[in-house]
Amino acid sequence: MRQKNRNMTKKNLYLASVALFIHCQIVVAAENLGAGKGVVEKFHATLLQVMIQSDNLGFSGRVDALVPVLAETFDFPTIARIVMGQHWKTIDAHQRSEFIAIFGDLSAATYASNFAGFSGETFETVGVEEKRGTILVKTLIERVDDEPVTLDYLLRRNDGMWRIVNVIANGVSDLSLKRADYTAIIKNEGFDSLVSKLSDKIISYNIGE
Amino acid sequence: MRQKFLMSSKNRATRLATLLVVFGLVTGCASTPNGDPGDPYEGANRKIYNFNDSIDRKVIQPIARGYVSLTPKPVRNSLTNFFDNVGYVNVIVNDLLQGKMTQFLSDTGRFVVNSTIGIGGLFDPAKAIGLRAHDEDLGQTFGVWGAGEGAYLNIPLAGPSSFRDAPGFVARTLLNPLTYLNPVVTIPVNVVNAVNVRANLLEATNIRDQAALDPYTFVREAYRQQREFKIHDGNPPGDGFDDYLEGEGDSAILKIY
Repeated sequence: MRQKNRNMTKKNLYLASVALFIHCQIVVAAENLGAGKGVVEKFHATLLQVMIQSDNLGFSGRVDALVPVLAETFDFPTIARIVMGQHWKTIDAHQRSEFIAIFGDLSAATYASNFAGFSGETFETVGVEEKRGTILVKTLIERVDDEPVTLDYLLRRNDGMWRIVNVIANGVSDLSLKRADYTAIIKNEGFDSLVSKLSDKIISYNIGE
Repeated sequence: MRQKFLMSSKNRATRLATLLVVFGLVTGCASTPNGDPGDPYEGANRKIYNFNDSIDRKVIQPIARGYVSLTPKPVRNSLTNFFDNVGYVNVIVNDLLQGKMTQFLSDTGRFVVNSTIGIGGLFDPAKAIGLRAHDEDLGQTFGVWGAGEGAYLNIPLAGPSSFRDAPGFVARTLLNPLTYLNPVVTIPVNVVNAVNVRANLLEATNIRDQAALDPYTFVREAYRQQREFKIHDGNPPGDGFDDYLEGEGDSAILKIY
């Protein structure tokens, strides 16, 4: 009788710990999804503010408003590494930090240019899923007189924080586009030419405003 | 009699299309020393890209911009609806070829509703009753059947394509009722369609002009991804993100979705 009780206790303990483990996994998974969604929604909230106050801010004001939130929500060092492909190994530490910095500046200029002015757009989160250690947040930009734009964000955890590593707009991955584009330039013209072309792009965004 | 049949232009086109598909499927991706293995004809493609771009900037874009400024949006929307509807038989046939039976039924319904209640396709009442538009073509069908992309191609005046996707141009034309009307009607109608399509793409090409450092590569990459996306109906299979952190070769298409 005692043996049976002891076995029952062991079994119950075992089942209880399995249940607790599964519960924890579910809670952690849900927390991750929530964290990922929060990062994207924070970015969208800033974009919306920038669009609404677009005229007051002007181009440089929009850039200044976007730089801190981009640094927080995007993982530029990882993005830079992927975008450079096999050439990342061939550049030194100084060139790497130069590239990461200019890439961040270009991102800020691009968003400041493309999200200027407000015509009733709304950002809507339509789904969040965990995929092979990354999180995919699916969103839509609803526009008043036009088809909505699907905007999917891929996030990866780095240093305990979830950050955006890819934006997929209407099925086209920004990371892939940039990687193909930039590696073509490096292959044909070299790293310095790439950096100089990126600087020229930033200048043209500034002038275009 | 048989000789005549084989040499008729529609059959010539069909034979050429078949040849392209077989060639593409058999050769898959030939590789060149430093280039992208999916683009073995990059040299010729770049020349054609530059040619297309030049004609686009000098002739087609100005016409498209003029058209946009002169034509109210509701009119342009109706024209887009009309041409989408008239080309919808192509979608329906490819639904069937891909075995998408529910979509086949829905798309047939959509075509009937829009052609009748939608007054010849000018309006889109089908969307309001849940029969939304799908996008299928012969190239996607081959993709669903397992064909790889084959070599990337830039076609004069038509733009980016591939060995797998090019036969779709022929199929699309053959399955469009407008093809069978008198050329006196079809030629101006096709011109209007071309200008309207170009106008609808102005936003996309503005983004390209603004963002691309190497427009040829930008367009090629964007085209390929769009095709992957469409073949898998918005859910392309991807690789793990960390696979790419150790510097995969440039030529690998990044499959992170």
